[in-house]
Amino acid sequence: MQNKIAVIAQHAGGRTDPVTYEAISCAVKLCAGETSCIKIIVVGDRVEKIAGEMAEKTGVDILAIENSQLGLYNAEAYREVLSDLFKEIVPEYIVIPHTSTGYDFAPSLAIKLGATCITAVEGVNCDNEKRSFLRTVSNGKLFAEVVSKTKTTIITTQPGAWPTEGKRTERKGSVEIIKTEVAPGKTKTLAFKQSDDLGMEMANSEVIVSAGRGIGKKENLSLIEDVAKLFPRSAIGCSRAVCDAGWLEYRHQVGITGTTVSPRLYFAIGISGAIQHTSGIKGAQMVVAVNNDPVARIFNIADYCVVEDLTQFLPVLMEEYKNNYK
Amino acid sequence: MKILVCVKQVYMPGTDGTVDPAAAGMKYNPANFRLNSYDEYALEEALLIKERIHTTEIHAVSVGPERVEAVIKRAMEMGAGEGIHIRYDKEEQLTPYQIASLIASYARDKQYDMIMTGVMAEDDMQMQTGQMIAGILDYPYASSVILQEMRGDATVYVERECDARQRQCLEMEMPCILTIQSGINRPRYPSLSNILRAKQQKIATLDASDLRIPESREEIIRLFPPENKPKGVFLNGTQREKASQLLKILHEKSFL
Ligand SMILES: Cc1cc2nc3c(=O)[nH]c(=O)nc-3n(C[C@H](O)[C@H](O)[C@H](O)COP(=O)(O)OP(=O)(O)OC[C@H]3O[C@@H](n4cnc5c(N)ncnc54)[C@H](O)[C@@H]3O)c2cc1C
Ligand SMILES: Nc1ncnc2c1ncn2[C@@H]1O[C@H](COP(=O)(O)O)[C@@H](O)[C@H]1O
Repeated sequence: MQNKIAVIAQHAGGRTDPVTYEAISCAVKLCAGETSCIKIIVVGDRVEKIAGEMAEKTGVDILAIENSQLGLYNAEAYREVLSDLFKEIVPEYIVIPHTSTGYDFAPSLAIKLGATCITAVEGVNCDNEKRSFLRTVSNGKLFAEVVSKTKTTIITTQPGAWPTEGKRTERKGSVEIIKTEVAPGKTKTLAFKQSDDLGMEMANSEVIVSAGRGIGKKENLSLIEDVAKLFPRSAIGCSRAVCDAGWLEYRHQVGITGTTVSPRLYFAIGISGAIQHTSGIKGAQMVVAVNNDPVARIFNIADYCVVEDLTQFLPVLMEEYKNNYK
Repeated sequence: MKILVCVKQVYMPGTDGTVDPAAAGMKYNPANFRLNSYDEYALEEALLIKERIHTTEIHAVSVGPERVEAVIKRAMEMGAGEGIHIRYDKEEQLTPYQIASLIASYARDKQYDMIMTGVMAEDDMQMQTGQMIAGILDYPYASSVILQEMRGDATVYVERECDARQRQCLEMEMPCILTIQSGINRPRYPSLSNILRAKQQKIATLDASDLRIPESREEIIRLFPPENKPKGVFLNGTQREKASQLLKILHEKSFL
């Protein structure tokens, strides 16, 4: 059994993204700890150093594919070099982090390879000979257990659902580097740019009081502001839905495409708890959630849960504060 | 310009309780069906192109049973000129690969300059359909698009949203496929005149089996509710009692 499983590493600016180690955890589970059948694929320009680091840290063998054209991520170029590679070595599973690069190229790579693509996987079931994969459906209300029917299956791993720390091994993985050609494609990556509003205010706050679509209208933001004023070092956060509605600026957005925060206290008010939001608050020490849906996902990660209509509850909360703490 | 916008009818069970797995995929509460909100952003983006280039034609397509006509109509009310229904009535759900194959085989010879989808369907969050259509038709594409601008007749400049507030800037040839992220625009509400116009218009219906549905590559073998094992404490009592408990906790933890 050789290289049954390929993991596509995610890296940028000479650093390995931790989601790579999450994908490796999934691969290790898939092969029941038999890491010799895993190969980590590193695509990029001058990646020898990080390839070496990954080999050392994981004990897994690395295959790096290098070309100066691969310095900046480009879906088409990634798809071409990877599909060439996987026509040579046909893996049973290709594991890719479900990130803005992973979900960009994985489905079209699957088309090129005639492979199945199962995205946002949160768990693997190894009970049977055949592996099955868990992902959420129906707006998070159900899990689906999915099996693949093709020779090669692409899995994208949901960030945050997998451990980043693997078992440390004595062995250091080998590193092989292949220089490749990249034919010019129909898309050209011009640059990556960082948006300037970084949510610094939230990063420096002890308490973040966050509003979700559940506030219903912009006017109700004052309820959120009142709560925030109870705490000396606090900031206002929100879900993406609130920014999209134009109620708050994007610098307040918490989550995977917003700011990652780690306050001592995170107040989630009228927020459903979509994974794209909650993966941005993993560092919070304590979470309080107010939501009128008793089965809202946010309650699965909250320390204190209040099932109430926020428009009624928050004014009562303020009143109680004034009566007893002021 | 000729633009195809893909629209999905999503199932969004809200506060009306959990989904019964035995019934999932079969017995739906009709009130919980609606147009995927990311597809509204895609439609709006197409309509904004039409405002600049008046000759632009916008078609909206949806794959599914009879009920999905509601979202095609909604797209026409927003301003799509034509609606196409690829009808599929069987019980088992189509996979993203099958849906992408059907849309690709419909679109293949129709000379669309651009195909737009939402970045994901809110219910099942696959994030695959647009990228797969691109793979099948061999068109360039970008997912999670937050800005697009035509450069000349045959090139589009695109910014796609990446994690941690990064943006990837790229240029691609048309025809191309863009999967649209929320926040790129503010989707409009249908105007009365468009609602009336849409009433008059017919939806073109095609049978999915005429377009050849490929074998599915994966299969759902089980649906089950997530173990609702909230790790936290649910506060009990009246609103006032809950408020006072919460304040007590915050005080004890020296937040107040
Ligand atoms: C690629 C991608 C990236 C994304 N990145 C992010 C991100 O970084 N951050 C982010 O937040 N989202 C992100 N999203 C969007 C995410 O998937 C959700 O759509 C979003 O987080 C939902 O916001 P919400 O919880 O405010 O709204 P909803 O999901 O609509 O939830 C509203 C909640 O309010 C509750 N509610 C309603 N009325 C009341 C009331 N009167 N009292 C109390 N509760 C009430 C409801 O029960 C519900 O739970 C991303 C999506 C994609 C596709
Ligand atoms: N049944 C369908 N009919 C038409 N378009 C669809 C369908 N399913 C998905 N799409 C499109 O593909 C996008 C991404 O969906 P998904 O890949 O399922 O997350 C959606 O926003 C729609 O634009």
